[in-house]
Amino acid sequence: MAVRVVTNLTGPPKTDSKLAARTIMKRTLVVGLTLAVVLACVFFVLTMPRPLGEDQLPEHSVNLANGELLFWAGGCASCHAATGAEGESLLVLGGGVEIATPFGVFRSPNISPDPQSGIGGWSSLDFVNAMVKGLSPDNRHYYPAFPYPQYQNIQIGDLLDLKAFLDTLPPSSNKVADHSLRFPYSLRAGIGLWKWRYLGRSRSNPSAEGTAQLERGRYLVRGAGHCGACHTPRDQFGGEINERFLAGADSFEVDEAADGASVGRVPNITPHPDGLGGWSESDIAYSLESGFDPDFDSFGGSMVEVQENMARLPAEDRAAIAAYLKSIPAVPSDAP
Amino acid sequence: MKKAVLVTLATVALGATTIVTLAADELAYQDQIEARQSFMHVYRFNLGLLGAMAKGEAPYDAELASAAANNLLAASRMNNRAMWPAGSDMSAAGYEGVTWAKADIWSAGSEIGAKSKALSDALEAMAAVAGDGLAAVRSNMGAVGDGCKGCHEPYRASKD
Repeated sequence: MAVRVVTNLTGPPKTDSKLAARTIMKRTLVVGLTLAVVLACVFFVLTMPRPLGEDQLPEHSVNLANGELLFWAGGCASCHAATGAEGESLLVLGGGVEIATPFGVFRSPNISPDPQSGIGGWSSLDFVNAMVKGLSPDNRHYYPAFPYPQYQNIQIGDLLDLKAFLDTLPPSSNKVADHSLRFPYSLRAGIGLWKWRYLGRSRSNPSAEGTAQLERGRYLVRGAGHCGACHTPRDQFGGEINERFLAGADSFEVDEAADGASVGRVPNITPHPDGLGGWSESDIAYSLESGFDPDFDSFGGSMVEVQENMARLPAEDRAAIAAYLKSIPAVPSDAP
Repeated sequence: MKKAVLVTLATVALGATTIVTLAADELAYQDQIEARQSFMHVYRFNLGLLGAMAKGEAPYDAELASAAANNLLAASRMNNRAMWPAGSDMSAAGYEGVTWAKADIWSAGSEIGAKSKALSDALEAMAAVAGDGLAAVRSNMGAVGDGCKGCHEPYRASKD
């Protein structure tokens, strides 16, 4: 009754139901706003760049030959040298190679030592953060078209050797245009969410029981070699489906002229009969050396460049890759 | 007028042929595709003889190596243009899963001629020395592989 009196004093009489509706609206607004602020904070925290600090770089004396080995194992030139480059021009990493994907067109950056157009001005820490955290020196997220989800498995000492090797290559002043991506993929903050969802789980820890050769193979396949970037199928957000590791995939490259259809299949390279089941370890190692499969058909398409890079590795590294590929779970090509 | 009638008749005839072809469930270039795929198999077979020696899976046999290399060279010098008619690529209707040849083979700026020549040159070098010892076979396999990949990289789609 007292309430009724107070209400009468402050304005026109209101019914109980109107008052209740107002309270609900007010509450909804407060809850909604709080939720929005909380979500914004969560989004901010999740998408926040988390670079490594200077103190996380180990003491290291540079081994240039090892840096060169990683350069070929990683196939840097396949994306960062000009399309069709051969011989010495594979060492000019001016970028600009276009990769058409369902998310839009990515353009590989200039990673030559040119201080303006390339990465000549980068510190070792900048380089390591790009490779393992997918972060630029000014803390922007890189798109995972740059295979840092695999490169994060490379040891920091090896990355420092690779950086030192890249520093010895010829500078290129080539300026590369930005990626042309569709909305919402054009929003870089979203990559922070992607990293939160996928980056941690694609980290590969060495297993205790493997032989030294298997561990070396695993390290090359899951790290610098980034075989899974093409041979493992991806989900709708471009994250690798770990249960189908190396079981073959539709190429993520699309043909814009053919309504964005995938340019083809990337083969299953697990030990399943759909994959390398019929290949011996020496078949695999020899194919990486020569480009011939066991039927003496030659490799074709993008695998040619990969194979020609692998041919530059020491024979024992190709043997290690072969041994590891024969040791992983056999997965059939078609999704169950 | 006469010309127009002829063109019309020709078109009708062509249409009828197409219908007959489709009714027989046979692709227009089935023969050509089978021929060139068989031809590739001949390459693979002979390369396999050399490759088994290079890999150490078979003992080196000078006579066999020389024969295989000369077969490959002879194959590369055949004029097989008739096996490769324009329109017999994987993007043509009905050809997906039948051929993996890309239409770029026939497009302007195609380097198919130069690439074939490069393979033939590599095989000539191999044939000249294949009987001289295992080291010679081994050291020429890379260049022969480059010859194969010269076309397979740009002009053949991945088969899975």
